[in-house]
Amino acid sequence: MTNLLQALMSGLALGGIYALVALGFSITHTTTRTLNFGQGEFLVGGAFVGVATLLLLAGKGPVGVLSAADVSLWRYSGALVASVVVLGVLGALMYFIAVRPFFGMTGMAWVMSTIGFGIILQNSALAIWGAGSVAMPSPLGEGVIRVFGAGIRPQEILVLATTAVVMLALDHVLRRTRIGKAVRAVAANPQAAALMGINVGAIVVLAFVTSSGLAGMAGLLIAPITTASVFMGLTIALKAFSSAIVGGLTNPRGCIAGGFLLGVIEALVGLWRAELREITIFVLIIAVLVIKPEGLFGQKPFEKV
Amino acid sequence: MASLLRQHRLWFAMAVLAAVVGPWMLSNEFYLKIIFSAGVYYLAAAGLNVLVGWSGQKSLGHAGLFAVGAYTAALLTAQAGWNPWLALIAAAVVSAVFGVAIALPSLRVKGPSLAMVTIGFGIVVEKVVTEWQVFGGQAGIYGVLPPTVGGKMLGIREWAWLVLAIGLATHLLLRTLLRGKFGRALQAVQAAEVAAESVGVNVYRMKVLAFVVSAVTCGVAGALVAQQNQYINSDFISFNLSIFLLLIVLFGGPSVMGPAVGAVVLTLMDAFLARWPGLQHFSYGALLLFALYAMPQGLAGALRALGTRLWPGLHRPEALPAAEGDWQPRYPAARDANDVMLRATGVHKAYGGVVPTNDVNLELRAGHVHALIGPNGAGKTTLLNILSGIVAPDRGRIEFAGADITRCGASEVCQRGMGRTFQNLKLFPHMSVLDNVLVGLHPHLAVGFWASLAGWRSARVEEHDAREQAVCLLRFVGLTERAHDLAGSLPYGLQRRLELTRALATQPRLLLLDEPAAGLNPQETEALTALIRRIATSGITVLLIEHHMDLVMAVSDHVVVLDHGVKIAEGSPADVQRNTLVIKAYLGVDDDEDEDDGTSMPALAGAPAC
Repeated sequence: MTNLLQALMSGLALGGIYALVALGFSITHTTTRTLNFGQGEFLVGGAFVGVATLLLLAGKGPVGVLSAADVSLWRYSGALVASVVVLGVLGALMYFIAVRPFFGMTGMAWVMSTIGFGIILQNSALAIWGAGSVAMPSPLGEGVIRVFGAGIRPQEILVLATTAVVMLALDHVLRRTRIGKAVRAVAANPQAAALMGINVGAIVVLAFVTSSGLAGMAGLLIAPITTASVFMGLTIALKAFSSAIVGGLTNPRGCIAGGFLLGVIEALVGLWRAELREITIFVLIIAVLVIKPEGLFGQKPFEKV
Repeated sequence: MASLLRQHRLWFAMAVLAAVVGPWMLSNEFYLKIIFSAGVYYLAAAGLNVLVGWSGQKSLGHAGLFAVGAYTAALLTAQAGWNPWLALIAAAVVSAVFGVAIALPSLRVKGPSLAMVTIGFGIVVEKVVTEWQVFGGQAGIYGVLPPTVGGKMLGIREWAWLVLAIGLATHLLLRTLLRGKFGRALQAVQAAEVAAESVGVNVYRMKVLAFVVSAVTCGVAGALVAQQNQYINSDFISFNLSIFLLLIVLFGGPSVMGPAVGAVVLTLMDAFLARWPGLQHFSYGALLLFALYAMPQGLAGALRALGTRLWPGLHRPEALPAAEGDWQPRYPAARDANDVMLRATGVHKAYGGVVPTNDVNLELRAGHVHALIGPNGAGKTTLLNILSGIVAPDRGRIEFAGADITRCGASEVCQRGMGRTFQNLKLFPHMSVLDNVLVGLHPHLAVGFWASLAGWRSARVEEHDAREQAVCLLRFVGLTERAHDLAGSLPYGLQRRLELTRALATQPRLLLLDEPAAGLNPQETEALTALIRRIATSGITVLLIEHHMDLVMAVSDHVVVLDHGVKIAEGSPADVQRNTLVIKAYLGVDDDEDEDDGTSMPALAGAPAC
């Protein structure tokens, strides 16, 4: 029972990470019908920008080893802001270099170019910080909080709380504000939105900035749990993409639900037989898609003949 | 065509010569290994190109199929003691079976979700071979047997020759396949699935075919790698391999040559920059990032464009065959016989509370022109979609040419002799005018997959006949000059005419036209009217939806009026014009109301009866 609670908690934390990245996929897909296939590398970027910021705030050089004393909650918050901002800017850069030139072209040129951008990003990180992983202490310490006998890591609570706040805020922005309405209008029909006076170009840039910023935040949030590594991105991005598809790429709330669902299933299966985690998850995903191709909470596309 | 064939033979002979001499001249094992790798990657990518570049299905899980081939060959030779050559063939067969398995969801799952299914497949395979002891787990399988020639094991030079031979053969086969009816059908599926179905292409079968072709070449590539290394483990199989294969295809471009060029260049880059890992990855990323700016059609497309600029005669479009004779419908109906061509009884379709088709009965007489009119939202297009098999009715029965077609899909309905056009044009815009028409002929081309793949005589003869028919048809509608233009580049009026031509190419007994005059100017409408008359005189039964009442009154024998999904009137054009229900439907009941919904009554009243 305590194991179950423990697994549930770490599953939710992991799910929160997936949900953040999945939300990013959803935002760019609904507004531009493209996805950043290098999103995993943006997670890496986020983690290492965080590492560098923490080191700089501790008065050291941007490359080095973090000690527990270097990471306080306010420094970590500063690092989070830095990660989101830097990665957001990188996202805009990627949009202009790798996505916009291929609008209106058939085929999947943007798949190739976003992967290319990701590879460059990853190798920049590799050149600066090297191939080894950097341990990052949690700002809340490494002690374990006991809840009903289950050991819960404080970083998991931090991850969960942060993702919850961010997602509630984004949900509010999307549904209740002018700019959210503009985003939804662009998602529904960019031409019509432009004719209604919405600056579609700006909204699209905003979508990429948000998506990349979320990935950067996710990278830094998970770093204290998994350690920061240049190679950490792919698996997480892949699972986040799975979450988005299973939840319904067109529905931001569906993506969030998909993320948590995947995280929890992964943790629970891991409790039973760790080596079967991926197999179970992906077999389940295939089954879901065959039964409900639009995802659990997605909207059926309607094509007028 | 003959000179083009000769030209290709010359190029091919040169390639064979290079493939024979190249490995013979090289003594450095490193270079021979590169040739082997490039050949294997080409093989895997060549099939993937059929799937991605031609049928437009995305796959990010072909490492899984690579693994299926590799492990089949490994297990069969190392543990079951099969002959290595037989094991290689078995690898192809088993991969094909897996290809069918991942194609199954593709009927329902599209776009990013299909990519997800393939990713899932690739990862499941990767994890299965990592975790399950049958596959040797992380340690892998040792003692995989390579094929032998005359009792001797192949050295790396012989391996290079073997892979080059298989690669060249694959290129030749795929080239033949893709230039024939299957290549056109695959492109049609990519461009517009509904339109492909409507001209008798079974979209699902084409997707399965593309998946299987890609699975076979990928599986063979995997088997060759396992046999050459005499060892396989799960490290060979990764998501990165799937991505790499996809990149070869995208980088090379969607032509037949694309994967070859892509595989060679990317393998060389990988190999020669390996000394400087940092530089290798940066340049790799930069290449991917910027390649398609400079070369939107991939590297092969860029090379082709360069070749055409340097030697303007290099890529002339094939000359049209000089076809004599007029186009004739294959199943002309006798107008006087008054046979019923199509009978719909109690056809009903509801979307929630909206009932676009409410228990409609319809009878179309052979050889006559029928018009289906009604205000916007009356359910005309839905009825057409039901008749042509695109939408299944909730209840009711449709008999066409003596058979019950109620449950038939669109491609089968077309094969039974019903052609159609669409209200919102659905051409295959990136194919030539000629190819659009040739896709229309698809259901009448009998040649099968194997004959088409091997380029048997039967396939070549049939292809030639098809081109002749297409040319006759283009002459019939007056589009001969535009034969080599891209369909998407035609002016709007001609695009409409081309769509009609494509429908005619399917040799319909019954032709359904959904607002053929929408967006046409008066001259174009007049030409269309004449064309529809000629089609009708040639013995094809027509049902058209139209808002241009001049056109309707000029060509129809029989008019059916729908309103809110219900048939409110039918009869001769003159009868319908006088029908009070029809007048109410168009103009409303209240005398004070002068609402105009774009289909004005004066045109109806003033039109001459035919």
